[in-house]
Amino acid sequence: MSEKSGSGPSGFDRRAFMAGAAGSALVPMAARAAAQDANVSAASDPALPVDVTLRVNGKDKRLHIDARTTVLDALREHLKLTGSKKGCDHGQCGACTVLIDDRRVVSCLTLALAAEGQEITTIEGLATDDHLHPMQQAFVDNDAFQCGYCTPGQIMSAVACVKEGHAGSEADIREYMSGNICRCAAYPNIVAAVKQAAPEIMKG
Amino acid sequence: MTAAAPEPKANMGQPVPRYDAAAKVTGRATYASDMPLDNPAYAFLVTSAIAKGRIDSFDLDDARSVRGVIDIVTHENAPKLKESKLFSNGGYAGTTIQPLKSVDIAHDGQIIAVVIAESYEAAREAANRVKVSYTAVAPSASFDSPGTTAAAAKGQNAQFKEDAEVGDFARAFDAAEVKLTASYDTPAQHHNPMELFTTSCAWMGDNLVIYEGSQYVYGLKNGVAEQLGIDADKVRVVNPYVGGGFGSRGSMTPRTAIIAGIAKRLNRPIKLVPTRDQGFTIATYRAETRHEIRLGAGRDGRLVALRHDGAEVSSRPDAYCVGGTKTTTRLYACPNVASLVSIVRADRNTPGFMRSPPEVPYLFALESAMDELAVKLNMDPVELRRINDTNVEPIGGKPYTSRSLMACFDEAAKAFGWSQRSPQPKSVSDGDWLIGYGCAATCYPTQMAPSAARVRLQRDGRTRVEIAGHEIGTGAYTVIAQTAAERLGVPLEKVAVFVGDSDLPPAPVAGGSNSTASTCSAVMMVCDQIRQRLFKAVMPSDSLADKAKETVGISQAPSTQAAKSDRPLDIEKAFDALGVGIVEEYGEWKPEGAPLDSFMAMHSGHARLVGGHQMKDKIAYAFGAEFVEVRVNRFTHEIRAPRLVGAFAAGRIMNPRTARSQLMGGLIWGMSSALLEATEIDQRNARYVNDNLADYLVPVNADVPGVEVILLSEQDDHINPAGVKGLGELANVGTNAAICNAIYHATGQRIRKLPVRLENIEA
Repeated sequence: MSEKSGSGPSGFDRRAFMAGAAGSALVPMAARAAAQDANVSAASDPALPVDVTLRVNGKDKRLHIDARTTVLDALREHLKLTGSKKGCDHGQCGACTVLIDDRRVVSCLTLALAAEGQEITTIEGLATDDHLHPMQQAFVDNDAFQCGYCTPGQIMSAVACVKEGHAGSEADIREYMSGNICRCAAYPNIVAAVKQAAPEIMKG
Repeated sequence: MTAAAPEPKANMGQPVPRYDAAAKVTGRATYASDMPLDNPAYAFLVTSAIAKGRIDSFDLDDARSVRGVIDIVTHENAPKLKESKLFSNGGYAGTTIQPLKSVDIAHDGQIIAVVIAESYEAAREAANRVKVSYTAVAPSASFDSPGTTAAAAKGQNAQFKEDAEVGDFARAFDAAEVKLTASYDTPAQHHNPMELFTTSCAWMGDNLVIYEGSQYVYGLKNGVAEQLGIDADKVRVVNPYVGGGFGSRGSMTPRTAIIAGIAKRLNRPIKLVPTRDQGFTIATYRAETRHEIRLGAGRDGRLVALRHDGAEVSSRPDAYCVGGTKTTTRLYACPNVASLVSIVRADRNTPGFMRSPPEVPYLFALESAMDELAVKLNMDPVELRRINDTNVEPIGGKPYTSRSLMACFDEAAKAFGWSQRSPQPKSVSDGDWLIGYGCAATCYPTQMAPSAARVRLQRDGRTRVEIAGHEIGTGAYTVIAQTAAERLGVPLEKVAVFVGDSDLPPAPVAGGSNSTASTCSAVMMVCDQIRQRLFKAVMPSDSLADKAKETVGISQAPSTQAAKSDRPLDIEKAFDALGVGIVEEYGEWKPEGAPLDSFMAMHSGHARLVGGHQMKDKIAYAFGAEFVEVRVNRFTHEIRAPRLVGAFAAGRIMNPRTARSQLMGGLIWGMSSALLEATEIDQRNARYVNDNLADYLVPVNADVPGVEVILLSEQDDHINPAGVKGLGELANVGTNAAICNAIYHATGQRIRKLPVRLENIEA
């Protein structure tokens, strides 16, 4: 298991890693060549695990993982938070959407190392004390899903959409929710859900 | 009632929220790749870069040097697997092309190696470092490619039994007052369910657990067991939630047994998460089709001759076809009908069912042609359908069990405002936008298959329903829970439902829109068995009636009568009389006309679907009518579909909320099929070019401004005990033609090839 208990500095120089390999993580061969040039020991073999601390849903999680691990795979494979879904791994479908420092991001295109020190909120962190978040309740009320696979991403995106001020009209909601594909095509119900939840979220 | 939860009409259940709603909005719903595994190794696929030819050699040194690599499996060291026949030939497989068996390459993107590593990242990197030398042969990509072969479907596909015909088409067409001949094309399409084609396999001794999104857990279990050469009872497939299916998970793909075999050898669980682009070639798809329609009619609009010729692409070894002429030759009254379906073999992966497999391409052709005929006749297209409406299908002369086609047209036309339409093409505009209205009929066969169920009732009303159905987004949990609650008279919140596990009693494939009809009929029957036991406890006169029944063969026992009626039951009283804590019943239901071997087949993972035109003395279909407004920009030629209106009648509606959602999704699927979706094929390399969700266009929220679903009340007592026709594949059938008919109305241009994109609009 790669998750470790306790807390403390990661000991890994993120700046050096970013310079050497992070930007090329999707092209492993280029990453390897660049890292060797930079002579950064930790990045010279990206498969060598690195320490990283992620703050997820208000809790620090220490991980010892492959430096190329995305936030999505860190959540799913190492923290057992499988609510965020992998639908394309290319940032095309939105199923992996989480909030990082309250901004919606596709976690499949975000390296775990790059998210260190930031607040990650996933679908598992939305409900409090067994009460559904207003957006979750609105999705239930409006039957805003069928198979449910895109739903965690839709809901995280919808929460951000409202907070960004992009839920003022149905046309706005449709436009600003268009980064999240729903193959079952629950779209009209998703719009209705965002409309229902928006006032409550803005209130407080 | 909200828009999402329409008021139930006659013969409709309550629009209760989904049983699995809370799990799905909180991330607690566990799909296959969410299942926890103990210390898994990760698999990454390497797929072929050529479509035809052979592998000369692998250079694996670089790949093996990647830290964390455990093994690289190629045809040289792959686990030996037995062959499985195509599902339509009595097997389980969606393709007989079995990768890792030899050096031969049958299609682009065929699995040629599997890298196993300690992490996903290492497996991916090593897979990218696998070097392959091929000897490539020029492949045949599709229709018109050199090297393809074409032959009639009849005789090579066991499930395609007849080219429907009646009367004398040639003579009637010759003599017809009004004639139309037109050709139509539909493209290849990929299902692209949101959940990737993941597979996890874990062995415990000789027992295998497979976590994989499947629309048929019994088929997959038996198919993998067959390939591994082990007892099917040692294989369990688990998937409580499936992230969309649309047909892509109905038959077994080669990946599952390969991963299972490697996991066994490694003695460690393996998790495979293929990429989105690999999904285009390691599973099935909807193949491209071509059609020629010939219609002959009298000046009054009555059809006198109809011929539908269809051609479909399949792979070299497998004669897959959808053969939608079975529907298009029976939809309207016509005394002289002919048809022919043929299959063209190319160097492609084997296609398979995709949502409404026969009806989507074949009704696009027929319903476009009907619109063209209406124009020739100078007749309203709705009225043309009315004149040719029939309660008896023309091929076998069998009556429809119920048919609300024209009621659907009238309801949808009213809601849409069809009467406001000026029939003249290009006659309505709004600024730069040309506006067009179009409509089409939609239909889908009513199908059922044998299904079993186990129901357990406790004295306090708590109920547990077990059935190996599939929650692919259709609302299976919900309608099964509603059925049990209603039949047993217990509160809905006391019913627990378990599906998606091949250790549960068998249910059929979640395909052909048969699930609700089949599973709910089985659950009803088993609930009645429980009711009978309980009534027996409180109705002591049964023994006399039983005796009478045995001796003279008359009259049902009062408990049986009571169980089959809607008579309320005092559960606590009955339990006290029985003196037990739990009553549990198992039962197997089969539809009327199911073949003799159908229960055996059910247990061995072969779903024997009956229904549609294959019933003995009747024919059963669900119907609908779809109306569309399109807007075509006169300068940019951008096409939008701001309004989709559909009215549907499908027997009993178990839950208007889930039904509406499915039909709404279907209408949007239809719009997508007409205007967005196509798998682009590189004709030189027989390769899918746009194999990702950025380039394979599916609708996003901004594409879908207005959808209206109207559920008609319909009762049909001649189909199955649940009275359900099924509607998962009803709505995306007519939309293709409705949109092209609307584009004709907007622009005066008739487009006969899908999808219609702005470059296809001439002026």
